[in-house]
Amino acid sequence: MDIITSYGTILIALAVIFGLYMTWGIGANDLANAMGTSVGAGAITVKQAIGIAIVFEFLGAVIAGGHVTKTIRKGIIDPTSIAGSPEILVFGMLAALLAAAFWLMIASTRGWPVSTTHSIIGALIGFAIVGIGPEAVKWDQVMKVVASWVISPAIGGVLAFLLVMSTRKLILDTDNPLKNAKRFAPVYIFLVGFIISLVTMFKGLKHLNIELSVGQSFFVAVLFGLTTSLIGWFFVSKIQVSANENREFHYASVEKVFAPMMLFTACAMAFAHGSNDVANGIGPLAAVVSIVSSGGEVMQTSALPLWILMLGGGGIVLGLVTLGYRVMLTVGKRITELTPSRGFCAELAAATTVVLASRTGLPVSTTHILVGAVLGVGLARGIGALDLRVVGHIIISWLITLPAGAIMAMLFFFTLKGIFS
Amino acid sequence: MPFKSTSTLSSLLRKSPFKPIQEHMRTVFNCICTLPPLFEALYNQEQDIVCEHAEQIRQLETAADKIKNTFRLNMPKTLLLPVDRKDLLNLMGDQDSLADIAEEIGKILSFREMEVPAELKPLIDELLEGTIEVSGEAKKMIEELDELVEVGFGGNRELERVTAIISGVRRSEHNIDNILNRARQTIYRIEGDLNPVDVMFWYKIVELIGDISNQAENMADRILLFLSR
Repeated sequence: MDIITSYGTILIALAVIFGLYMTWGIGANDLANAMGTSVGAGAITVKQAIGIAIVFEFLGAVIAGGHVTKTIRKGIIDPTSIAGSPEILVFGMLAALLAAAFWLMIASTRGWPVSTTHSIIGALIGFAIVGIGPEAVKWDQVMKVVASWVISPAIGGVLAFLLVMSTRKLILDTDNPLKNAKRFAPVYIFLVGFIISLVTMFKGLKHLNIELSVGQSFFVAVLFGLTTSLIGWFFVSKIQVSANENREFHYASVEKVFAPMMLFTACAMAFAHGSNDVANGIGPLAAVVSIVSSGGEVMQTSALPLWILMLGGGGIVLGLVTLGYRVMLTVGKRITELTPSRGFCAELAAATTVVLASRTGLPVSTTHILVGAVLGVGLARGIGALDLRVVGHIIISWLITLPAGAIMAMLFFFTLKGIFS
Repeated sequence: MPFKSTSTLSSLLRKSPFKPIQEHMRTVFNCICTLPPLFEALYNQEQDIVCEHAEQIRQLETAADKIKNTFRLNMPKTLLLPVDRKDLLNLMGDQDSLADIAEEIGKILSFREMEVPAELKPLIDELLEGTIEVSGEAKKMIEELDELVEVGFGGNRELERVTAIISGVRRSEHNIDNILNRARQTIYRIEGDLNPVDVMFWYKIVELIGDISNQAENMADRILLFLSR
């Protein structure tokens, strides 16, 4: 109890620094993957991608980032047995945060495909095992989270597959693909605005003191959808088509219609990423703040302060601006094989899945879901070649990241404990 | 901090295999298009120019080989492709043998100074014309692969277009078979007047020209396999 009262400010300051470090890392590396698709398809420039990311990442974090934050903050560890010594939980959360951020940095410099989500979950489990005891880990919750890592890419894949099939039926395999592309573009753009806003608003805005009934949520989501669709229609109607461009490739004009549509999925991706990944950085931070400010209450009944969500969003934006743009540039240059129509389907499917997971409070990996979505497009026979070795790499990175995060969290936990006691 | 940018997504998305196949086919088609000027020089008894054209064919064939080899190196078994990997590799093989045949014709004509019998000349011209036509159809078919990927190797409209091209290849091949028969009969009729070794080579050359359209037809069969999956 003494440690909390005498070192309270320092502990919060440390938590803020570690939290910023973690979110900075997420913004620098993770986000580039999520948005590189739009850049690679030639739909937006890197500068535009950064502008979009700054706005929507932040919005995603603040508006929809609360549910996953809650899971990271109090859904994985059960601290009842250490109610008498809350400093253990504070050290543990700090250690987990630092471990995850550190592991992320190592992995990024080596180019390993690790997920921020997996690092933080591994770190939390690692600390809980040595700091409190294996029984303190809510294993049923952990299993649910781990299951979501397998299920969410599959859902992304199925959605992407269906979307690709729908574009074929409605646009590509018709007598006048261009006319149908222009006709259905606003419908698809409506879907982007409608789905993302509906999932977000559906009983999900309590922390902003907004409570909408089911009917109201639907109504506002339709309004959102119509607004985005109107903006989209404006972009699509401006597209100039020349007779020459289809000589080499008959669908060149159609792809031109899909390019501005990817602008909207890029916004959706940034929003989705913000809503899910911000929690990895600020979940533990929120826990520390809550324990310290309540004077040692481990059960954390207080609500999540909005400033923490904003800090997280700010950290991600900072990472993006300082380093992420370079990563995005290189990633975008390499992703050239995805045409706008395919990219649109993959991104819409991925963003929907991530936002759905965020709303359910499940910490998932945006990148892995996007991989699942692209595989879905591939299974619809829509992409030249996909290298399935990546799937193996992802599984290996899981198997390494969970224990690596755990071991590092254990080390940092004992170090912090040693310093402060 | 030196972030490495080997992103998961960019290692997932590999270069489309259809681009090198198209590039290869263009090179192969250039090879075959050199055959008429080669024979033209032979008719005119200009051995230097014959050798020049043969050399040109050889260089194009080497370029095609290079494309083929890079292609094969970039086709690991772990790829998820919209079509069967083996079919793609075989298609590339078929295309490559088109260039090989052209090269062999060039070689024969450059090391062996031959005089074209007057009776055979119109038939060879006809054969060459048909060969260019059927190879052109085959190239058109390959150029259509982009569109096929876009519609996922399905969809009625694109299917109709491609099957129309494929039946064009078939028709041309059938037509060439007829010319080939007439050419064989002609050589048989005049073989008594010719140098026996020349006769042997004329049979061979005519067969080789015929092989080009056979290979083109094989390619059409492969493309049909893509569509029927």
